[in-house]
Amino acid sequence: MTTGTQSALATAAIKAPIDPVFRQIRDLIYKVSGIYQLDEKLYLLSDGCGRRIKQLNLKSPREYWDLLTAHASREAELRQLLNEITIGETCLFRSQPQLDALHKIILPELVIEKTKQITKRLRIWSAGCSTGEESYTLAMNMMEQSEKLLKGWTVEILATDLNDRSVEAAKAGIYGDYALRATTDYFKRKYFVTVDEKRLQVKPEVKKLINFSRLNLQDDSKMLFMKGMDIVFCCNVLIYFDGPSKSKVINHFFSNLNFGGYFFLGTSESLMKLNDQFHLVHFPGAIGYWKPSLKSGKL
Amino acid sequence: MTTLIADTIRERVQRIETTPSIPAVFLPLLELLGAPPEDVKLEEVLKLVSYDNTIAAQCLRVASSPLFGLPKSPESIKGAVITLGLRRVETILLTCCLGNAFPAKNWPLEPTVFWRHSLGCAMVCRKFSEKIGANDHDKAYTAGLLHDIGLLVNCIAFSTEFSLAVKHALQEQIPFDEAERVTMGFTHCETGRLLAEKWHLAPDMIRVIAHHHAPELSETAQPLVALVHLSDLLCRMRGMGYGYYESRKVDLAYNSAWSILKKQYSGLEGVDLARFTFELDEDVAKIFELVATIFGAAAGRG
Repeated sequence: MTTGTQSALATAAIKAPIDPVFRQIRDLIYKVSGIYQLDEKLYLLSDGCGRRIKQLNLKSPREYWDLLTAHASREAELRQLLNEITIGETCLFRSQPQLDALHKIILPELVIEKTKQITKRLRIWSAGCSTGEESYTLAMNMMEQSEKLLKGWTVEILATDLNDRSVEAAKAGIYGDYALRATTDYFKRKYFVTVDEKRLQVKPEVKKLINFSRLNLQDDSKMLFMKGMDIVFCCNVLIYFDGPSKSKVINHFFSNLNFGGYFFLGTSESLMKLNDQFHLVHFPGAIGYWKPSLKSGKL
Repeated sequence: MTTLIADTIRERVQRIETTPSIPAVFLPLLELLGAPPEDVKLEEVLKLVSYDNTIAAQCLRVASSPLFGLPKSPESIKGAVITLGLRRVETILLTCCLGNAFPAKNWPLEPTVFWRHSLGCAMVCRKFSEKIGANDHDKAYTAGLLHDIGLLVNCIAFSTEFSLAVKHALQEQIPFDEAERVTMGFTHCETGRLLAEKWHLAPDMIRVIAHHHAPELSETAQPLVALVHLSDLLCRMRGMGYGYYESRKVDLAYNSAWSILKKQYSGLEGVDLARFTFELDEDVAKIFELVATIFGAAAGRG
């Protein structure tokens, strides 16, 4: 087979109509987890479902739909499917619009809001930090501002995860090409050292900014001690919680944030109106949740 | 605004009417769109379109876009009317006419970016209108399409002054209306209103054009103006703005336009704004593609 034919077949495959059942699965996933798969990404969903269909020896997507909606199997299978579709999503600098909103809009706003306070301190929490990609991205972005907007400010980044092994990997801060695919040469040169041909490690001065630890977001007594946050990132973590646990964790985030603070989810993730205290706010290309400042009178 | 400035604006807008490139079917079509749906006959629209083959051909290309979700491209205007409905075809015709009405010669604004925003806003207005259970989705589409017509007036009649406003907006990362007010002393809302009045657009369209940045100031048609206001903001926050970074946070549900809309449509309460935003993202690429194929020639002129 020639390459031309292969590429023609590939194009045909991409343009082949998506089985309507995948739109039903997309809606189910949104309802349960708040993750929205855009139409153009439905092929990723169909790939993920395809792998599960094969593993389970099912005959068709329709049969898989039955499994996803049958009372006995739905919860466990949805979890498996969510793993399939979120796998490999993590990388450093994953969402540039979120980072732009952070340093162009949010930081200037918080600096003005907090400037009257005696201690110039910002606290950021990466909740469900996995292997540290997001935490280091935040740390490097904050360091970029240390001689500008954040001159004279202390920035603390707390990074927590349920999984001990993830926390250990995060502390090591060693990443390969895949995790670094969105990291520019500028950041690689400035904040990393070479480990070997394929891997880079985050420099100690970046690590110093972050406090990594293990935390279960459902541990109410520990969550009570996470007060005084200015910004919380919690990307693709809440998707694994059932409705009541999710609401409880979101309420914790809300009360742990300072007034005027911000809460971010993954780029295509939503709180699905589970909390009516946060204001859903739009930034160019990004959605965030805002705990209104007291003076805004919008609580 | 001083009387002198107001007179200058009026005088320059008067001149626009004589622009030779406005397709002959444009103004009669606008009139048809302003009439109650039951008064408009298919024959009238077909007769209008028969005067302009280019517009008819463009209309069919637009109707074939994935945005309209037709399984098969329509082969005639009549065929398009049968599958999409008369009102919808009228709005598509209007879209094509508008692209031809304003030749993009030395605009201070990138024409492609302008058409993306106008068409994007039209589509978002329609979806929003459907979402909240409003009663005239085609009217919402037309309102979205025409809301920034004042920017075209500025491009043509106030080219030098508007260039400074555009430069200021880009530099400061602020909305156009703010930059216009600072540098020109008036905005596209005022110039658009004059053109809309000159063209005898329906009163509700005039309100939208004049007040889409401050719906609470509109004497009538506040829900429609509010719908356009919110759709305009959504477009600008989701990659269908004016091609530059607007450094701002938009709190849609705590916007006065949201309250206006909520009073009129109880359906707004149930709208999941995050999901609605993600759904809109799905149309962005389709709108870009449509603008490139349909407005490419008009946008690239000059």
